[in-house]
Amino acid sequence: MQVPEQFRYTESHEWCQVNGNTVRVGITEFAQSQLADLTFVDLPESGASFEAGDEAAVLESVKAAADVYAPVAGKVTALNEALEDSPELINSDPFGEGWLFELEMADASELDKLLDAAAYTAHMPQD
Amino acid sequence: MKARFCRIPGLIAYDQAFSVQQQLHAARVADEIPDTLLLLQHPPVITLGRRGRREHLLVEASRLEAGGIQVVQASRGGDVTYHGPGQWVLYPILKLSRNELGTHGYLHALEEIAIRCAADAGFDAFRREGKAGAWCEQGKFAAIGFQFKRWVSLHGMSLNVHPNLSHFDFINGCGLVGEAVCSFRSVLEEACPEMEEVAQALQGHCEQVLARELELMSPKQLPGL
Repeated sequence: MQVPEQFRYTESHEWCQVNGNTVRVGITEFAQSQLADLTFVDLPESGASFEAGDEAAVLESVKAAADVYAPVAGKVTALNEALEDSPELINSDPFGEGWLFELEMADASELDKLLDAAAYTAHMPQD
Repeated sequence: MKARFCRIPGLIAYDQAFSVQQQLHAARVADEIPDTLLLLQHPPVITLGRRGRREHLLVEASRLEAGGIQVVQASRGGDVTYHGPGQWVLYPILKLSRNELGTHGYLHALEEIAIRCAADAGFDAFRREGKAGAWCEQGKFAAIGFQFKRWVSLHGMSLNVHPNLSHFDFINGCGLVGEAVCSFRSVLEEACPEMEEVAQALQGHCEQVLARELELMSPKQLPGL
């Protein structure tokens, strides 16, 4: 299971790609594999503000629905509009073309609370 | 891994069962309890999934409710389905682990449980590509719809043992038009097992397929029941 080194992660399986004061957010390969073929993505409104841990988006596959949480507090500055017609991008390229939204961070120090790739890999449940 | 399995006797209203699920879910997310599976029956109710389209309800909700069939909006994935007496409903509240990965994951596991229950009862069942659930020659006998919140599951699967199949005529089940719904009784007729027997089989297959050692739990220990 892929866990790119350069991203930050949450325990709820979101990833963050930091670019200056904004973060791009998506879900990890673990998350997409559990949802199987996605059929619908309910993205936040552009300009919406979230606290870290708020429900920001909902993903749906044929039989499943799952929430996506804001990894850090911030305001939505960009949405991946390609997902409207092609939600399957999240399945085929979760760390790339399947990104969900971008947030302008309210407090960049919150990034320190996120997991790095090694910590996320260790967090993933393994029995 | 240990988990708890709780069979709730009688008929449990959909809303009440959902409230129990939500309380268990919150406790599971917080690691206060182990994985917990509920097995129960609902009084007649039609539920719409998040993308449930009213057009798949073939009779007006007011008429259904006048006839004793409740209509509710559910937070699970999937379209419209029916629950009622004679149908086991399985609600696993599970924190998923890595060995449940794979491209089919949890959906596949629930289907597998239903297919094995059919085999025990004496008929062949299978998956159909793109049409989730468990199927046999006569049609679909198990419907699946679930939700992950904080990566702990809610909702699950219903398995038709001997429900009133005419109630499915009020809906296009799961939004599938022209697909038949069937039950253990419609397939096996007099050889249909008792609810009790199917419950035992379900419990065993949950244990195997979900790879969790199940410990029986009294419904008296459930929150909000």
